Amino acid sequence: MHDWTGELRLDIENRHGKSVAKNVYFQGALKVMRPVYHDDSGQVCYYILNPGGGYLNGDRYQLSIALEENAELILTTQSATKVYKTPFKQAYQETEIKLKAGSLLEYIPDPLIAYRHAKYKQINRIHMEKGATFIYTDVITPGWSADGEKFSYDRLQLINEVYLDGELVVYDHIKLMPENQNMKELGFMEGFSHLGSMMVVGEKTNAALLDRLYEAVKLDADAYKIGLSELAVKGFTVRVLANSTQKVESVFSKIHHIIRQEWFDTAPSLLRKY
Amino acid sequence: MTNQVLSLIQLCDSNFPTGAFSHSYGLETYIQEGTVNNQATFSKWLDVYLNEQLVYADGLASRLVYQALEENRLDEVWKLDRLLMVQNLPRETREGTQRIGERMLHLVESLYNVPVLQQYRERLKKKQGFGHPVIVFTIIGHYLKVSQRETTLYYLYSNLTTLIQNAVRAIPLGQTAGQKTIQQFQPILMKANEKIQSLTIEDFGIVSPGLELSQMKHERVNIRIFMS
Repeated sequence: MHDWTGELRLDIENRHGKSVAKNVYFQGALKVMRPVYHDDSGQVCYYILNPGGGYLNGDRYQLSIALEENAELILTTQSATKVYKTPFKQAYQETEIKLKAGSLLEYIPDPLIAYRHAKYKQINRIHMEKGATFIYTDVITPGWSADGEKFSYDRLQLINEVYLDGELVVYDHIKLMPENQNMKELGFMEGFSHLGSMMVVGEKTNAALLDRLYEAVKLDADAYKIGLSELAVKGFTVRVLANSTQKVESVFSKIHHIIRQEWFDTAPSLLRKY
Repeated sequence: MTNQVLSLIQLCDSNFPTGAFSHSYGLETYIQEGTVNNQATFSKWLDVYLNEQLVYADGLASRLVYQALEENRLDEVWKLDRLLMVQNLPRETREGTQRIGERMLHLVESLYNVPVLQQYRERLKKKQGFGHPVIVFTIIGHYLKVSQRETTLYYLYSNLTTLIQNAVRAIPLGQTAGQKTIQQFQPILMKANEKIQSLTIEDFGIVSPGLELSQMKHERVNIRIFMS
C-alpha cells in the first residue's frame, strides 16, 4: 500500500566531519524544517512537522531514516503528536531506521497525546550495525477530554523492534486499552498519568554505567516511579511513571546527560525540551 | 486421564526442580513497597500478571510452538525462542527464565529421548537458542500427544501454583489462603487459556507498564529473597 497520508525520507552522511543530508524527501502531511547545527560537533538536527496538526481517522505515516557510517543525527518533532478521534480506522505510523557502524541517532520526539476515542499504532524498526548508537525516548500522556476524564482514548499500541547485524535483539510492545484495563491500578499506571520509555543501544553499556544511572535518578522519589535494566545486548531500557511530561523528561535528561558525557564527552544539545 | 497427562503433570509438580521457586517476576518489589500485603492484593497482582503479561508471552508462545511442531516447522519454534528472550526487557526475569529453561531442558532430557529437545540443546550450546521453559514444556506436551489446549493450561497452572507458593512464603500468607487462591484462579485460568486461543502473533509480547517497571526495579530492591 502506498497511500500514505505523510511520508518522510531522510538519509544522512558524514562529509569530512559534518553530518549532512544526502537525500531529503517528504510528501503529504509530514515535512522537516531546515537542518540546525546546535554546536560545532558536526551533528545535524532535524525537526519533523505535521502540517495537518494531528493524526486523524485512518491516517498512515511512514518515515525512513538512514545514517551512513559515522553520521550523527538528532531527530525530534516541532510539537506533540496529537491523535484525534478515529471512529472507524486507527491512525498508524511506521518508522524504518538504518544505522551504519559508528553512526549516532538521538530520536527524541515530543509526547504523544491521544484524545477521546483515539486509536493509534506505531512501529519503530531499527536496523543497526555493530558500533552504531541509538538513543530513543517516548512519552505517552493521558490525553484530554471535555469531562476531564483521563485515559479517554480507545487504544495506544507502540512497538519497538531493534535488529543488530540482522538479528532481532529487542522487542518492546506496549498496548494500552483503557476500556478493558484498570489504568489506575496495580500493574498498569498505578496512579500515575504519564508513561515514559527510553531505550539506549550502544557498545559502551556495562553494569557500572547502570549503577551510576540508578544513583543519578533516585529510586525512592514520590513524584515518579522508575525502572531500568540492561538489554540482552549492550544497551538498556528505562520506564518511568509520573504525572507530567516535565517530570519524565527531567529523568530522561539526567540519563541522556550521563550518556553524552561518558560516551561522547559532550552535553546533549539543548533541545528546548530539557 | 491418560498416562500421558500424568507424565506432563510430573513437570508441573512443585518438586520438579527447575529453580522456579526462586523467582517472583517483580512480585517482591510490590511486597517490599507494601502494595501487595495480603491474599486480596496478591490475587490482584496475580490476575494482572497472568492476563496482561503471561498470556501474551509464554501462553501465546505455547500455542504457537505446539502448532509449529504439528506442522514440523522448527524454524518457527526457534523464532519464538528468540522472541521470548528479546521481549523480556527486565534483565533479572530474562536471565532467570533462561536459567529455569536450561534446568528444565536438562531434567527432561534425562527422562525422554526427543529429537527436537536434542536440537534445542545443540542450539543452546551454539548460543543460537536461549532456553525457555515454555518451549521445553510444549515440546514434551506435544511429544506425549497431550492436546495443545491442555498443554498450555498445565503450563499456566504450573506457573501460577509456583507463584502462589512463593507468595505464601514471602508475604507471608497462610497455607489455607494459598490453597484458596489456587482454587479461586481455576476459572480465571480457563478463561485465560480461551483468550490465548484467539490471539495471534500480532499480540505477542504485550506487557503492562507497571508490572514491567517492577520487574526492572527488583534489581535494586533492598531485601531480596528472590532472584527476580
